[in-house]
Amino acid sequence: MGFILRRLGFYIAAFWVSITLNFILPRLMPGDPVSRMVARLQGEIRPEQVDALRRSFGLDDSPVLVQYWHYLAKLFSGDMGFSISRFPTPVTTVISGQIGWTLLLGFSALIIAVIIGNTLGILAAWRRGGFLDSVLPPILVFLGSFPYFWLAMGLLWLFGITLGWFPLRHAFEAGTSPQLSLAFIGDVAYHLVLPATSIVLVSIGGWLLGMRNTMIATNAEDYIVMAEAKGLRSNRIMLRYAARNAMLPAVTAFGMSLGFIVGGALLTEVVFAYPGVGYQLLQAVQALDYPLMQGLFLTITAAVLLANFAVDIVYVRLDPRVRAN
Amino acid sequence: MMALRTRLARFCAAAAAGALLLTGCGSGSQDPTAGSTNVAGSLDGKQLLTIPREDMGTFERNFNPFSNPDFPMTQQAIFESMLIFNPADGSTTPWLATDWEVAPDSKGVTYNLRDDVKWSDGKPLIADDVVVSFKLQREIRGGFDYIDTVTAVDPHTVKFDFNKPFSPALLDIGQQVIAPAHVWSTVEDPTAFANEDPVGTGPYTTVTNFQSQSFDLGRNPNYWQPDKQKIEGIRMRAFAGNDGANLAAANGDVDWAPQFIPNIEKSFVDKDPEHRFYWFPPTGSMINWQFNTAKAPFDDANVRKALSMAVDREQVTKIGMQGYTIPADCTGLSGAYDSWRDQSVVDACTWTKRDMEAAGKLLDGAGIKLGADGKRVLADGSPFEFDYSVGSTSSDWVSVGNVIAQNLAELGVTVNVAARDWGDVSAGYENGTFDSGIVWSAGAPTPYQFYSGMMSAQTVKPVGEQTFDNYHRFGDKRADALLEEFTAASDESEQKQIMNKLQALFSEDAPVAPLFPGPEWGAANTQRFTGWPNEDNPYATLSVRARTTVLVLTALAPVAG
Repeated sequence: MGFILRRLGFYIAAFWVSITLNFILPRLMPGDPVSRMVARLQGEIRPEQVDALRRSFGLDDSPVLVQYWHYLAKLFSGDMGFSISRFPTPVTTVISGQIGWTLLLGFSALIIAVIIGNTLGILAAWRRGGFLDSVLPPILVFLGSFPYFWLAMGLLWLFGITLGWFPLRHAFEAGTSPQLSLAFIGDVAYHLVLPATSIVLVSIGGWLLGMRNTMIATNAEDYIVMAEAKGLRSNRIMLRYAARNAMLPAVTAFGMSLGFIVGGALLTEVVFAYPGVGYQLLQAVQALDYPLMQGLFLTITAAVLLANFAVDIVYVRLDPRVRAN
Repeated sequence: MMALRTRLARFCAAAAAGALLLTGCGSGSQDPTAGSTNVAGSLDGKQLLTIPREDMGTFERNFNPFSNPDFPMTQQAIFESMLIFNPADGSTTPWLATDWEVAPDSKGVTYNLRDDVKWSDGKPLIADDVVVSFKLQREIRGGFDYIDTVTAVDPHTVKFDFNKPFSPALLDIGQQVIAPAHVWSTVEDPTAFANEDPVGTGPYTTVTNFQSQSFDLGRNPNYWQPDKQKIEGIRMRAFAGNDGANLAAANGDVDWAPQFIPNIEKSFVDKDPEHRFYWFPPTGSMINWQFNTAKAPFDDANVRKALSMAVDREQVTKIGMQGYTIPADCTGLSGAYDSWRDQSVVDACTWTKRDMEAAGKLLDGAGIKLGADGKRVLADGSPFEFDYSVGSTSSDWVSVGNVIAQNLAELGVTVNVAARDWGDVSAGYENGTFDSGIVWSAGAPTPYQFYSGMMSAQTVKPVGEQTFDNYHRFGDKRADALLEEFTAASDESEQKQIMNKLQALFSEDAPVAPLFPGPEWGAANTQRFTGWPNEDNPYATLSVRARTTVLVLTALAPVAG
């Protein structure tokens, strides 16, 4: 329990640091949101409209410390203000409207990559030097070294445009609306195939290699030799003795990846015009949309910290050594 | 702590890399070999007009006509203005107003509204709607500072009184969209009101389906021109960048492609030349190379003219703008002001045509002589070298800068293309710390605003004070006098005469070096809809964000069968 509390204290401190950074960083960027908007809309905003814009955006001219105080107070009441680039939509609406798609894409890709990658890693390490072990790692590392967007564009071109097997864009067919029906869920899954595949292909190699390497180390342990000497079935040794002990690093990596899902697969979202927060973040940075930027960064940091905390708790269950100290 | 920091750093690096890759993969990456077009759905005459929006990855429902920036189709299909000015042919179409009368002293204008216009909820359009709309517009978005009072004389007459003579007001006021008073006067916070179910006078006001990546607008049941609602409705689709939207256009998934498509002949038209076309009229805002005239030697008109003369505008438009626009002339006016252009100023024009010899003479005369190394030096002996500022994301304007730098090197002048973040660049413009840079100009129905921003001494702010107008900080009292005369002139021929004088003055002063008018991008597909504007029938541009868009929406007819 003491361990958990200590960790909790650490995460609260880390959270405070990140929300403070979150406050400072956007203000260090050159230009202010209104002049950025004037530059972006090039001639659409008349000079005499600038003052009114500043007023309606509620841009604060008060001292930085006062701004900081307002920022903290609002944050804890769940109010992140209005998005400037999508005025007058509240930041919370922009984020909550999109985050579901990001999570769907991120989770499904992560789960698929973790399950396939780790299974292959276990098998490759167990039959060392076998077919799987000698062929898969180089291929997957090769695929993994491709930039996300390149692979995504390749898939889009091959399976979307040339073969026409999968839709080219968006999360579901235009003109339909989300509902709990088999047809709609099927449509969403159909649209999810290409974006998810591009992420899985790139990330699977890492999981495979990580698992394979720890498995190899575990295989050399005495208790494996002991198990073999006892004449246990090979599958049982592989899964219950070796793989189980080799899981720990994978759990850590899984927890960390879980946190980063929220950041969104920006390039995948752009290539497949898939909805989500990744593209919003880029747009917010380009438009100097402070409130939206802060909201997104905050969501991402909170997700990373929460995921790490969850991993810490799981560790206490999985690894008795953690409990001991 | 350590872990957090590295994680943050890793994240930021990833985000930065993402941004780089995005710009890196921006051009010419799509070359779909699929030659066939695949039009979704059958042609039963009920197909929706499908339009991509390339700079919004997702839509958030907000049909507030006073929001800035305005939401797609809000000011085009839902709300309408009293009149519509078409920059493509210079014509003005009466819309919600039948006619208007400018006060003889130009200190007011009276509009007579149509009496057959109904809001989409069935209530009639009245003068009070105009009054309330202007009140809200001035409160929320600002502008219209010259308006003193707006009065509803009777239900169909609305009178504007100004605090000074201002003849450009006619089109300026006339193009403001009108919202219903009976809805908006009860809204508590009009700035933040999302107006999810809009009541408008436009042809397509009914939101039939709204999703984050697409929304459909259906017919207004009470439209005042029911015979012009030939199409069933409009479908907007969201794209997180040009690439996705261009792919949709190339694939035939959208009917209208108002975004920039590189190499459009090959990547769009050639896929189906029978149905696809593009039209880029030079009616956008004039793109200028501006010099900070608060800094020597840019305060000398001859130096500015010499620099302008060294620029090969044919090469600039060919290389920088892929040949999609035309070189500017000495009036500085874009194609939107063709009806105002004074041909005699254009004919007498010297400093927008390339002439290295004359440019060299002008610089010699200004005391900027050639040094021994072939580089020009200022009177104080320092080399004539300065920055050309441009936002790094505007890759076309960066190429323009590279062409200019090469051209100027031949003259012995060193121009450094300083491509930085737009926020940084515009901050330099606003505070007057830049040397030179590429800049857009104000867009308005009359050249008044353009010349006011270019030459009016009243708009000049000292260096260090933030301004959003006249970044180059040039003022000529003669221009102020002419501009004031123009605002007081209610007679059209008188206005033309004054405008001719302003053009001559611009040609004399060369406050900036005009490069080329920005093209109004637009491409369309006639496979599912016909009746598009084009070069032979320029009743509107192919823009989907202009006031003229409603003219296209009310002209298109579906292809059936």
